[in-house]
Amino acid sequence: MAGIKLSAVKKIYPGAAEPAVKGVDLDIQDGEFVVLVGPSGCGKSTLLRMIAGLETVSDGEIAIGDKVVNQMEPAERDIAMVFQNYALYPHMSVRQNMSYGLKNRKMPKAEIARRIDEAAAVLEITPYLDRKPRALSGGQRQRVAMGRAIVRDPAAFLFDEPLSNLDAKLRLHMRGEIKQLHQRLKTTSVYVTHDQLEAMTLADRLVVLNHGRIEQVGRPLDLYRRPASTFVAGFLGAPAMNLIEAEVSGGALMLAGTALARGLQAEAGRVTAGIRPEALRLRPAPGGNFRLDYVEELGGSRIVHGHIGAQRIIAQTDLAQELSAEMHAELPLEELHLFHATEGHRLSMGVSQPAAADPQLVGA
Amino acid sequence: MQTKRTTFRSWWLPYLLVAPQLAITLVFFIWPAGQAVYQSFLREDPFGLSTTWVGLRNYIRLFDSAEYLASFETTVIFTVCTATLSMGLSLLLAVAVDRMIRTASVYTTLVVWPYAVAPAIAGILWWFMFNPSFGILTYVLEMVGYDWNHRLNGEDAMTLVVLASAWKQISYNFLFFVAGLQSIPMSLREAAAIDGAGPVKRFFTVVFPLLSPTTFFLLVVNINYTMFDTFSTIDASTAGGPGQATTILVYKVYEDGVKGLNLGSSAAQSVILMSIVIALTFIQFRFIERRVQY
Repeated sequence: MAGIKLSAVKKIYPGAAEPAVKGVDLDIQDGEFVVLVGPSGCGKSTLLRMIAGLETVSDGEIAIGDKVVNQMEPAERDIAMVFQNYALYPHMSVRQNMSYGLKNRKMPKAEIARRIDEAAAVLEITPYLDRKPRALSGGQRQRVAMGRAIVRDPAAFLFDEPLSNLDAKLRLHMRGEIKQLHQRLKTTSVYVTHDQLEAMTLADRLVVLNHGRIEQVGRPLDLYRRPASTFVAGFLGAPAMNLIEAEVSGGALMLAGTALARGLQAEAGRVTAGIRPEALRLRPAPGGNFRLDYVEELGGSRIVHGHIGAQRIIAQTDLAQELSAEMHAELPLEELHLFHATEGHRLSMGVSQPAAADPQLVGA
Repeated sequence: MQTKRTTFRSWWLPYLLVAPQLAITLVFFIWPAGQAVYQSFLREDPFGLSTTWVGLRNYIRLFDSAEYLASFETTVIFTVCTATLSMGLSLLLAVAVDRMIRTASVYTTLVVWPYAVAPAIAGILWWFMFNPSFGILTYVLEMVGYDWNHRLNGEDAMTLVVLASAWKQISYNFLFFVAGLQSIPMSLREAAAIDGAGPVKRFFTVVFPLLSPTTFFLLVVNINYTMFDTFSTIDASTAGGPGQATTILVYKVYEDGVKGLNLGSSAAQSVILMSIVIALTFIQFRFIERRVQY
C-alpha cells in the first residue's frame, strides 16, 4: 500500500487546442478512497489513465509510494485497474482471468490458488470460477473484474467508472459493496465517475474537476456544505442547488423586490445566490413571493417547483408541508451560499457556517 | 431479426428475376460439372471417335499411379507452405499497422496493391526476378554463394511458386487481420499490460486467441486459394516443372486433359478436386461459426 502524489500534472494531446489536464496537484494518502468527479471531458479519466500508465504524462510528476512512476510501464507501478467495460479476457475462465496477472508475475501456484479462493469467497463468485465471462451477468462480471484487482494485492486500486454499465438497482448494490470492500482492505483507491451520488457516497475525499483543472477538493460533506464555486454547487446534490441571480443591498438578499434572507455582511451588488432545495422554508401566504408551478411526489418527500419573480426555483419539503398557489419563501442565513455573479467563486458573508461533522455512531 | 418479405403479384415474376443467375450457374457450373462426372466414367480417344464405358477404372488407376500420388504430396507441401507464409507475413504486417497511428492508411493502401495484380502477371514478375540467366534475385543469391536454378532444381521451383502465390494472397489476409485486430477492445490489451504481460506475451495470450475466428476463416480461404487459384501463377512461372516438382493437383488436371488429351483421367481428377472443395466449403460453413469462438 502507498499514497499517490500528483505534482503539476499536465496532459496535452497532439493537435488538441487546449490541454486535457491543465496542471493538477493532488496528494492522496495511503489507504484513502479518493473520487475524481466531473462532467464528461473534464479530464478525470485522462488523469486516472496517467496514474495507471496507459497515457504518457506531458508535464509534471506522478509518484506512487516514494517512487516517481512517469517512465514506468503500467505493470511496474503496482496498481490494479477496474475498467468500465470490465475488460475481462473473453477466452479465459473466471479463474484464469484472475490468475493471469499473478502468473505473469511468477507467483507460486499454491499462493495463486489461495488468493483466488479468498477473493472469490469475499465477492461470492466461487460458483462461477470455471465459467467464461460471456456466461455471466453484468453484476457478476463486475465482481470478477474487482476480483482480478483484489488478488493482485496492489499498492492502489484504480476504478474507471466501474458501475456505469450496470442498471440502477445493481449500481446501488455494487456501490455498497465497493464501500465495504474498501473498509475491509484499506487499499488506496482512486475512483472516477460522473455520477455525483456515487462520488458523494463513496469518497473519503472528493476531487471535483472541470475543464482539466481541480475545482475543489475536500470531504464530501464539506464540499456539499461549502462549495467553492457555482460549478461545484450545481454539480453536487440532487435535486441540484438553485443558482439564481439576486442582489445584495442593505444587508439583505433581494430577489424580485422581496428579501429572501436578512443580516448579510456582504458587499452590495449583484451576486449568484445558491440555495439548496431542502433549505428553502415555505409557508402559505396570499401574495407571497413564491408562485407554485407544480409538485413532484417522491414518496418520502416532495419536490416543489415554482418561481420567484422570473426565476425558477425548486424546494424539497416533507409531506407535512402545507402548499398553496402563493407562498412566502425564506431562508436561514447559514444556509445561503453567495457566489460572484460573473466569476462564480464563493463570496464571504461574514456569517459563521457550521463545518460538516462526521457521522457519529451512538452507543457504540 | 426482422426479415423483409416482398409479395409479388404474379407467380412467375420472382422466377424471372432469379433466372439470369440460375442460368449462369447452370451453364457454367452444373452442366460442366455434370459433364466431368459423366466423362470420368468413360475412356475416349482424343478425336472423340470411340467411347468406352469403364466404370470406376479411371479412379482406380489414379490411386495406383505414383505420379498422381506424388502430385497429391506436392499439393500438400505447396498449400501448407503458401498458407503459412502468406498468413504469417500478413499477420505481422497487420500487427505493425495496428500499432501505427498517423500513416496507417497509406501503409494499408500499399500492402493491398498486390491483390490487384493478375495471378499470371505475378507469376511472370517472380519468374523474371528469379530468372537463372538475368534475374536480379538470382544475382543477389549468387553473391551469397547460392546457385539458384528453378529450371533444374525442384526445391528452387517450389520456393518460387510458393513465394509468388503467397505474395499475391498477403493483401487479402492482411485486410482481414487488420479488421480482426481492430475489433479487439483496447481495454483488453490495457488490462493485460497492467497485469504484467509484455508486448509479446500480450500478443500470444490475449490478442492471438481472440483473433482465432479470423485466423480459421483465412486458413480455409487460403487452402482453397492455393489449391485452385494458383494455376495461372504456376503456369506462368514454372509450368509445373522441373519434372513434376510443382505440378499440383489442379495443374495436373490441365496437363493430363488439355496437353495429354487423356480426357477420362483428367475428368476423374477434377471430380476428386471438386469433392475436396465441397468438403472444405462444408467445413467452413459448418464449423467456423460454432467451434472457433471464445
